[in-house]
Amino acid sequence: MNTATEARARPPAAELATLTERLRHDYGERAVTTQAIREQHAHGEGLADAALPDIVVFPHSNEEVAAIVRTCNAARIPVIAFGVGTSLEGHVAALYGGVCLDLTQMNRVLEVNDADLDCRVQAGVTREQLNAELKGTGLFFPIDPGANATLGGMASTRASGTNAVRYGTMRENVLGLTVVTADGRIIRTGSRARKSSAGYDLTRLFVGSEGTLGIITEVQLRLYGLPEAISAAVCQFPDLKSAVDTVIVAMQLGIPVARIELLDDVQMEACIRYSQLTEFAPKPTLFFEFHGTQAGVREQAEMIESIASDHGGSSFQWATRAEERSRLWKARHNAYYAALALAPGKQGFATDACVPISRLTDCVLETQADVVATGLVAPIVGHVGDGNFHLVVLFDPADPEERGKAEALAARVSMRAIGMGGTCTGEHGIGVHKLEALRAEHGEAVSLMRSIKRALDPHDILNPGKTVPLD
Amino acid sequence: MLDATLTSALAAILPPSALLTAAEDTRPYECDGLTLYREQPGAVALPESEAQVVEILRLCHAARVPVVARGAGTSLSGGALPVASGVVLSLAKFRRIVAIDPVACTAIVEPGVRNLAISEAAAPYGLFYAPDPSSQIACSIGGNVAENAGGVHCLKYGLTVHNVRKVRAVLVTGEIVEFGADALDAPGYDLLALITGSEGLLAVITRITVKLLPKPQLAQVALAAFDDIEKAGAAVGAVIGAGIIPGGLEMMDREATRAVEQFVHADYPLDAAAVLLIEADGTPIEVAAEMAEIRSVLTASGATEIRVSENEAQRLLYWSGRKAAFPAVGRISPDYYCIDGTIPRAALPRVLTQIAAWSREFGLPCANVFHAGDGNLHPLILFDANKPGDKERTIEFGDRILEMCIEVGGTITGEHGVGVEKLRGMCAQFAPAALERFLAIKRAFDEHALLNPGKGVPTLARCAEFGAMHVHRGELRHPQLPRF
Repeated sequence: MNTATEARARPPAAELATLTERLRHDYGERAVTTQAIREQHAHGEGLADAALPDIVVFPHSNEEVAAIVRTCNAARIPVIAFGVGTSLEGHVAALYGGVCLDLTQMNRVLEVNDADLDCRVQAGVTREQLNAELKGTGLFFPIDPGANATLGGMASTRASGTNAVRYGTMRENVLGLTVVTADGRIIRTGSRARKSSAGYDLTRLFVGSEGTLGIITEVQLRLYGLPEAISAAVCQFPDLKSAVDTVIVAMQLGIPVARIELLDDVQMEACIRYSQLTEFAPKPTLFFEFHGTQAGVREQAEMIESIASDHGGSSFQWATRAEERSRLWKARHNAYYAALALAPGKQGFATDACVPISRLTDCVLETQADVVATGLVAPIVGHVGDGNFHLVVLFDPADPEERGKAEALAARVSMRAIGMGGTCTGEHGIGVHKLEALRAEHGEAVSLMRSIKRALDPHDILNPGKTVPLD
Repeated sequence: MLDATLTSALAAILPPSALLTAAEDTRPYECDGLTLYREQPGAVALPESEAQVVEILRLCHAARVPVVARGAGTSLSGGALPVASGVVLSLAKFRRIVAIDPVACTAIVEPGVRNLAISEAAAPYGLFYAPDPSSQIACSIGGNVAENAGGVHCLKYGLTVHNVRKVRAVLVTGEIVEFGADALDAPGYDLLALITGSEGLLAVITRITVKLLPKPQLAQVALAAFDDIEKAGAAVGAVIGAGIIPGGLEMMDREATRAVEQFVHADYPLDAAAVLLIEADGTPIEVAAEMAEIRSVLTASGATEIRVSENEAQRLLYWSGRKAAFPAVGRISPDYYCIDGTIPRAALPRVLTQIAAWSREFGLPCANVFHAGDGNLHPLILFDANKPGDKERTIEFGDRILEMCIEVGGTITGEHGVGVEKLRGMCAQFAPAALERFLAIKRAFDEHALLNPGKGVPTLARCAEFGAMHVHRGELRHPQLPRF
């Protein structure tokens, strides 16, 4: 099989010139080759590994996407789907050049079905835009990865976020898709029915496939009724173990908490400074959010508070008003920047480990001891309700030794998680950075993934070099 | 009959009692829960170890002989229907519950374990396995995964695909693969979802890690009567539209309640056109709050009577009629045919009214008893196979219902799978471009199409034939439909 190596080279200049001319002819100002726009579409967030696409096109319809993909498939030129570029593992870098499809102008909410609790959106709609449009319906879309990502991008990377513990990830919340296949045909997967056992589950196969199996152009999403009551609480602990144990007990009892976030003492100190959370101490901390009826929320909170108190936790500090809550969650979402601010001049990257909840305490404590032993600054923060946590590892980019230490630490976190039956890609996906880790975790399954990639994209034009190692 | 060389190769790896080749021994395997279709297999293998499964698959693969995996044989779509020249690979001896981890809330089980046995084993830890197909006393978890089985509790707790963490399976070539992970998310393509509901076409499952949930402290069920089936359908949408996701939300029409009442004596209101059963579960405070809300929505939707179970015995009694609906209908009609179409909830009133109209038109009674909250219909068309023309009219009636399900944006099967039964419907629901993807995935797993051939996904040629049959006066039916 040599399709993989074929794509290793950038497309020949003559072919590109023909394609560029054609795309300019068909899409006019929506086909852009300026350096600035290409650079802007060369990377996501996270460690930079920019690779420029040759041209960026802004399609408006499924048919336009299909036409572009058909042309590229015929010419064997890579196509990379792009939302707002907030992915973290190098997903959108145009490793072999080609066409970047920026889907942000496909930004219409196509339908909202109140009674069925679902909606259909174009791929370029962002989650904040969707929730703004849902105002007044009493419904909302809960998945919240922090960034204001597009829903197409969130589906492609199987995004999750702070409230996955209650609402699941994109895996549970995408009901169907419109996808442009590698040969430029438009298919619809799933249906508006809540369940289906007709055919293989193409919907979930495309969700999380990072643009390597097809281009997602529309997403059918599950919606939820806005809870009657929402409240948030903060609880501080004498040590990290007590905080994590509290989470485990709460999960075992099945208390339907909407969010549980863990911040270790270092991260808490960073947030106190960065987001002026001066009412708190730099101690291991849990942030909670509860959704439900007035009575239900009160009951959930009382149950958790008593578990926390058994583990030496402080009494709850409440945030019931919307603005207090958003201040807390904003502080949480800014944790990465807060961590960077601990050591000006340093760079940081986030690891992404996820373990079975029964191993969470072991994994977090061993990781913290490991961090202390390295002498690096690497605060811990995580959606611990589902066993997922991150280290923000800070290092001096000018100091190769420190960089080496940081990378070794991250590698040990990955191996530790895998060794405990977990994974090193809790929610950020594979992209280019985690290809080797995928191989380590999934021996035989990787060759099946490769067969599927070849079956659905025989010429390897869709986001080549990502998600599944082809060699 | 199976090829003699293969038979002796199989005999070399299996004890005599685990390889059935005589016609009288293989007869019990000739069909599953869909008895309309029967086929006697060349042989039945009953391995008891994964190593034997690997060997059987290797041998059959080398000999290019089809293999049909079989659990408890309760499929309602012919998923376990044998192939005449092939081997039935029964997983009935894979009966061990390997481990229960009460901290991680998971159980590791072999595929032959009965669905209900998992919840029974988890009960001492206060845990249960949520998906509960009506056949849960008999059906096996391996079959549940293969069919992505549903059940009453799936509205709130999800289908099999939402409740399985990891699957270990053997590919047709004999390689062992693990799909999914013990942690929340597995990296790369979602092969776990792909294998779930793949109807035995992609791999043979040998071990499953399922999620367990804490058993709710309290459950209460409300029984609501309606004098009009359309109002009952609208009430379902109103409950969900109010943001309530009940533990179960089921509907039975008059035909169904009358059949079950004779059977279970649950004191159902028999003059009601339809009843809804709505369960609230959780802590006592949550249940009380949710039940109050349910009551007010039902009243506003025009319920003529609402009863709420006052104790566990009464709750089980109210449910007994729903659980026993199929056997009860079996008592009042010589034959029945169960349809499994699923629609967006908002379309319920319209679809139910149309089914009632067709029932009159065909002169065939139809009992509706179904997972209303999911929009998963189970019309039971009552007929008498011995009456000339009844069967043909029943199939025509069923086809019309499924076409309507597609037309309103739904699917031809919510939880029973395609099997052999709904291949034709697949051609109506999916465009050729989508069917080609299905076939490409099948080839990626099983190049020679040896695993459960002739099921699940129709070939394009077959669809073309059906298409030709379906062209009516030179016109394709519903040409305006997006075929998804």
